Amino acid sequence: MSEQNLKVDVTDLIKDYGNNHVLKGLNLQVKNNEVVCMIGPSGSGKSTFLRCLNKLEDPTAGRIVIDGHDISNKNTNMNHVREKIGMVFQHFNLFPNLTVLDNITLAPIELKKMTKQQAEATAHDLLKNVGLDEKATAYPASLSGGQEQRVAIARALEMQPDIMLFDEPTSALDPEMVGDVLDVMKNLAKQGMTMIVVTHEMGFAKEVADRVVFMADGHIMEEGRPADLFDHPQNPRTQDFLRKVLNA
Amino acid sequence: MRKRLLWLGTVLLACLSLFTFFSTKTQAAEKTYTIGTDITYAPFDFQDSNGHYTGIDIDLIKAIAKEEGFKVKLKPVGFNAAVQAVEANQMDGVIAGMTITNARKQQFDFSDPYYYAGEVMAVKQGSSIKSLEDLRGKKVALKVGTLGASYANSIKKKYGFTTTEFDQSNDMYNDVTSGNSAAAFEDYPVMAYGIRNGMKMKIVTKPKAGGSYGFAVKKGENQELLTKFNTGLSHLKKNGQYDKIVAKYLGKSAQAKEKKAATGNDGLLSLVKQNKSSLLSGLGQTLYLTFISIILATILGVIVGLMQVMPVKWVNWLSSIIIYIFRGMPLLVLALFIYIGVPNLTGSKISAFVAGIITLTLNEGAYTAAFVSGGIKAVDPGQMEAARSLGLPYGKAMRRVILPQGVKIMVPSFINQFIITLKDTSILSVIGILELTQTGKIIIARNLQGFKVWTIIAIMYIVIITLLTWLSKFVERRIND
Repeated sequence: MSEQNLKVDVTDLIKDYGNNHVLKGLNLQVKNNEVVCMIGPSGSGKSTFLRCLNKLEDPTAGRIVIDGHDISNKNTNMNHVREKIGMVFQHFNLFPNLTVLDNITLAPIELKKMTKQQAEATAHDLLKNVGLDEKATAYPASLSGGQEQRVAIARALEMQPDIMLFDEPTSALDPEMVGDVLDVMKNLAKQGMTMIVVTHEMGFAKEVADRVVFMADGHIMEEGRPADLFDHPQNPRTQDFLRKVLNA
Repeated sequence: MRKRLLWLGTVLLACLSLFTFFSTKTQAAEKTYTIGTDITYAPFDFQDSNGHYTGIDIDLIKAIAKEEGFKVKLKPVGFNAAVQAVEANQMDGVIAGMTITNARKQQFDFSDPYYYAGEVMAVKQGSSIKSLEDLRGKKVALKVGTLGASYANSIKKKYGFTTTEFDQSNDMYNDVTSGNSAAAFEDYPVMAYGIRNGMKMKIVTKPKAGGSYGFAVKKGENQELLTKFNTGLSHLKKNGQYDKIVAKYLGKSAQAKEKKAATGNDGLLSLVKQNKSSLLSGLGQTLYLTFISIILATILGVIVGLMQVMPVKWVNWLSSIIIYIFRGMPLLVLALFIYIGVPNLTGSKISAFVAGIITLTLNEGAYTAAFVSGGIKAVDPGQMEAARSLGLPYGKAMRRVILPQGVKIMVPSFINQFIITLKDTSILSVIGILELTQTGKIIIARNLQGFKVWTIIAIMYIVIITLLTWLSKFVERRIND
């Protein structure tokens, strides 16, 4: 595997909050076009890990290279790197003061990546893809959770990212909304987007992931192809976790 | 980040230069001496029914200036403010029925005495109190810093009475005529003048323990002015002009003229009519102070509020210190500190108006900063994270995403703060700014109709606060739509 082909390269990542050690030396590499799902019990550090990748959290130690940019280096312009990393949050975080269309076009226009016309044309295409073009002029408050999350995905895609990070994108949704959001993500995976998805949707992980990573207590306990990890888990913690979630 | 700091610095600099512009404007008058006077000390210093400042002090200093060939700029700011302004080099001299005492000589150089006045005790008409002995167990009203007050304080143990001190002569008289206090002590001419002009009191003792009035400058300064005053005074005494001035206010013929204005029987409307121009100019000053202060305090408050939430530690600290100091200091103390204290420290004058604006800007700005940062912090932190994760720099994220949401939260606080600012302008009467409250005090000093005048002033405040509230609600609706 060549260095150029690596989208994410994390070495010995440590994150402490005072005496609370959340990440205890993580190593992970993600290749171009790869879909990685991260699973594990609550509090295992999955979300913190994801947030370190675009520096919403400042790592305590370790090296993170995204698309060739060493973001653990203080001189790296984080704003430029972030433009290439789309992030989707558990609680959508749409801007309530802006319409759906403006939510999507705000960043590319502000950052002069596109003209207003280009940005809006792309936004309409993306909204069509997620089945929400008729909501372009609506405000987020009038949307359902599932609709909001699909707009949030469109907003992230508008910046034409190289990598998409999903932080439990369906956890805050009513069950009947989950399917629509997962469908959008599956399509994205099919188109070859590099994705890291923190999720509790084991079905999605099984079906879509190229690799599944199991985290517990700030460590990566086990990783592998979905078929191997779900059907023949090696680590006792993985076995225990899967028994609980799959039999729930 | 650097750009933002630069912008912040530019705004602060702009505010500063605005202040300097105002302050240099007041320094411009060169050959002219600025003299502070009292405003509620008839017959020495008071405002006549046409709204002009007049009295023995005023006529005397004008006559001396004419005699000696200099110009005076009179600042009718009240006794305390005038004295403190001279101490702070804000004014060149004070003529305000000021008794020459040894204690005062520590701080001031006095002219030759220009009037001798003894202290008398006065009681409500029809009161049974006839002598100092009758005061045992009673309360006595005094005016802060007067010789009458120090005389009364010196004998209160002996005669067994207690004292209450007031800032304004009128409040002292009212306390007696309303029956709250049994008697008041005051210089004879002042008391006699008031009674002749309709005050329902009578003098029951002979003038005693008197003192001499002198014109004062700060110790060691403006000696030239002091010499001119002394020469001028002796000329006026020789050529008979001095006696004319005194007779104008204390002679028999002086009574009738002012009497009409002080009968105490005017209706509210006729009071408003009589004092229309004073009231309007006081109102104008109050609105002007409010308007400028609201703008500057909002600018300062937003800057300091943003500093509070910026992800830079030392900037947060700086902001916290600014809020802590200026929110923690009573407005009255801050006003006096800036007007009296700062010129003492720096040696440069500031006009009362500029001092007032700075005071309000700092105090209201600190409160504004507190709710601005509170409003920003009340916005879901996920909003900032989402904006930053799209690659928006901090400033753009703040401006396009966080502030529009925060401002909605802040709007009611802004409206509240505007109303508080308007009301707080009244405190600036203490440094002699002629705003609405000070105007009220001055009118009352002339016509002694405290209750009615304060009613008028109160109604005026309520009306403008109502208008301001309507305007703010209108703006609030526009923002929320």
